Amino acid sequence: MRVKLAQASAWQKVLYKKQKYPDNYVDQSFLDELRKNHGVQTYSYKTLVNASTVITQQLSSVAIFIAMHLYMKDHSVSAQTLWLIMSTLSVIGYIANFILNNSAGQRLSFTLFVKHLKTSLLFQGCSAALSPVLVSLTETISTDTIYTMTTSMLLANLLLFNYDTSHDAVPGAMSFSAAIFSSVCLASRLHTPWHAFTTVTSAFELFALWPSLRKNIKEKYPMIHQCVTVVIVLLCMACLGSKTLVGAVIYCALVLLITFACTALFHFLQSLKNNISGPWDEAVIHSSSVLMAEHSTS
Amino acid sequence: MEDESKFKLFNICMVSDFFYPNMGGVESHIYQLSSCLVERGHKVIIVTHCYGDRQGVRYLANGLKIYYLPFLPFYNQCVLPTIFPTFPLLRNVFIRENIQIVHGHSAFSTLGHEAMFHARTMGLKTVFTDHSLFGFADASSILTNKVLNFSLVDCTHTICVSHTCRENTVLRSNISPSLVSVIPNAVDSTVFLPDPTQRQPGKITVVVISRLVYRKGIDLLAGIIPTITSKYPQVQFIVGGDGPKRILLEEVREQFQLHDRVKMLGSLQHSMIRDVLVQGDIMLNTSLTEAFCIAIIEAASCGLQVVSTKVGGIPEVLPPELLYLAEPNSQAMTLELEKAIEDRIHNRNMDPFELHQKIKEFYSWRDVAMRTEVVYQIVMEAPVPNAATRLQRFNQCGPVSGKLFMLTAVLNMILLWVLQWIWPDQSIGKAETLKLSQVVKCEQRSDVLMGKKSSSNGTKSLIKLS
Repeated sequence: MRVKLAQASAWQKVLYKKQKYPDNYVDQSFLDELRKNHGVQTYSYKTLVNASTVITQQLSSVAIFIAMHLYMKDHSVSAQTLWLIMSTLSVIGYIANFILNNSAGQRLSFTLFVKHLKTSLLFQGCSAALSPVLVSLTETISTDTIYTMTTSMLLANLLLFNYDTSHDAVPGAMSFSAAIFSSVCLASRLHTPWHAFTTVTSAFELFALWPSLRKNIKEKYPMIHQCVTVVIVLLCMACLGSKTLVGAVIYCALVLLITFACTALFHFLQSLKNNISGPWDEAVIHSSSVLMAEHSTS
Repeated sequence: MEDESKFKLFNICMVSDFFYPNMGGVESHIYQLSSCLVERGHKVIIVTHCYGDRQGVRYLANGLKIYYLPFLPFYNQCVLPTIFPTFPLLRNVFIRENIQIVHGHSAFSTLGHEAMFHARTMGLKTVFTDHSLFGFADASSILTNKVLNFSLVDCTHTICVSHTCRENTVLRSNISPSLVSVIPNAVDSTVFLPDPTQRQPGKITVVVISRLVYRKGIDLLAGIIPTITSKYPQVQFIVGGDGPKRILLEEVREQFQLHDRVKMLGSLQHSMIRDVLVQGDIMLNTSLTEAFCIAIIEAASCGLQVVSTKVGGIPEVLPPELLYLAEPNSQAMTLELEKAIEDRIHNRNMDPFELHQKIKEFYSWRDVAMRTEVVYQIVMEAPVPNAATRLQRFNQCGPVSGKLFMLTAVLNMILLWVLQWIWPDQSIGKAETLKLSQVVKCEQRSDVLMGKKSSSNGTKSLIKLS
């Protein structure tokens, strides 16, 4: 009897028909249109570890910056030597960047090179001229305050840095400003204009030039990017370890935490994701029609 | 008459923050449903909060009694959610009117939820009608869904206005779907009559009547208007309603020099909607989410072709041959509207009166009232859960929220006990039940809602007491 009824008039999900079912009838098709985690992208653990290297590298920039300060502070390396090393590395980095861009089809013209050279000279000149001012700028502030400010500014740099490689629109100006602020703070603790000059220029190299080269490498040669990360991490540990064991341990722990623990947690939490959607959701107005086509077929 | 003999008559109290003089889908739903229930012999009172100087008890022409209780609205016409302070007055009303069933309306209505909660504490039966759809992802939805969970876990039966709405409500409040009935809205077909003479000959008029807000898809509309007007010189738009997105439409009108072709009417009285609708050939609805959408059946009842977005419960409302459905994006909507316009040009549409007749068969408030009566019947037969069962149900709502809900319920029980001690049930005077000497026909009752009669200042003259 029931089968016959079902054949005669199957329940329809419509309101305009008078159907021979009670109003609280629950059909088999109930919640058929419910979609769980529709359009949610899940990441493999490997992808996550690879992606986390961006954070590790920025952390390494901060670590190198601190290590440099420590070396200069106890006079184990002179400011001039460090400046020379950083400048040489910058030139190598510039050439590497040039090769990367060249292989991507972008030709580096002579005029562009002159322009870059001019900018660099102008900047170095300005920094050199201002270094006597910089060294005395925050001299009267107590060392504790300076270290607190530097720490908070470097943390701000880490937090606000634009880790997303796909969007060029936000260059992380806040993050960069924080780093420069911390370099100006530290510059006053080293007493000579040469030290201040080295601190400020290396901050620019570490927090402005190096990230853009990293981004370039990551986009074009992800494999090299991973290798560079390993090299940088080892270098940082060696530099920090020779000066402060606690710092090296903290750095090492942070790197391990970011690379393996945090990613593992993220990977685990993905399985708990339970995002439900269905016809009751508010439609989203997409600008591209491609997305809409996807939406309609779902 | 046959139906009436089958059913017992109940004393029903409709509660919602939203009622006349406020205007909208929920308000007219409560009014129409109550009127039809009164017509069928039930005793119905409506409880809402005060609207300005509109306080106290008022009667409508058909014997509906409305309590405008002195709770002040604080946001979007809802009263402040305080849970306990509303109990004494609501208890008084329930006892005074000898209420058996408390019927709350709209998930947004704080007063509705509170009244149902108090009614459950007093051991009355509760019914809730959900009129809206909710998402699950944003913070406000999570909060509202928790409140709904609290309210519905203890509710005897729930009514939803469409199947999609029902699925949504079941998911949100975590209740058994068999405790949820689907009873659609309806349309007052005596008011929404077609009148093709009002149409402008030689032109095709597209009517849009909605609040001009993001959720109604006004951004889509702004994309559709320029394409359509440039393709069809005979098409003109009439936009009724007001809201923050009005500026967007005015910008479009300015940019494409469409002042003579896009008429903006501003906010409309409900009584004027029909007069605007009959001027049009096609009704365009661009809502991004909609549980039922009364607007499209009102338009169809006036004989208009309806073009709508395919969202929420809209595909359930009208059969495909009476409705042009499109995905919610400008391109698809434009294509579908073009189809409707082409059909209009070549006169392939259904005759307005034929369409009206169909809508009349599909939806009537009398049918809604009869189906609601069935729900009341189920509710009255359902056993009253004891305090322990209620608390257990609340506890199952969640590890933290469950305990909170239980605490609230226990406090309410204590409050009831205190109230019974201070004002015993016997001390509350019973209200006289009005008997209408003459049943006001359904055809006439619509006038009151339309505001044609001077119902604002005492409608007693309209009622003939026996």
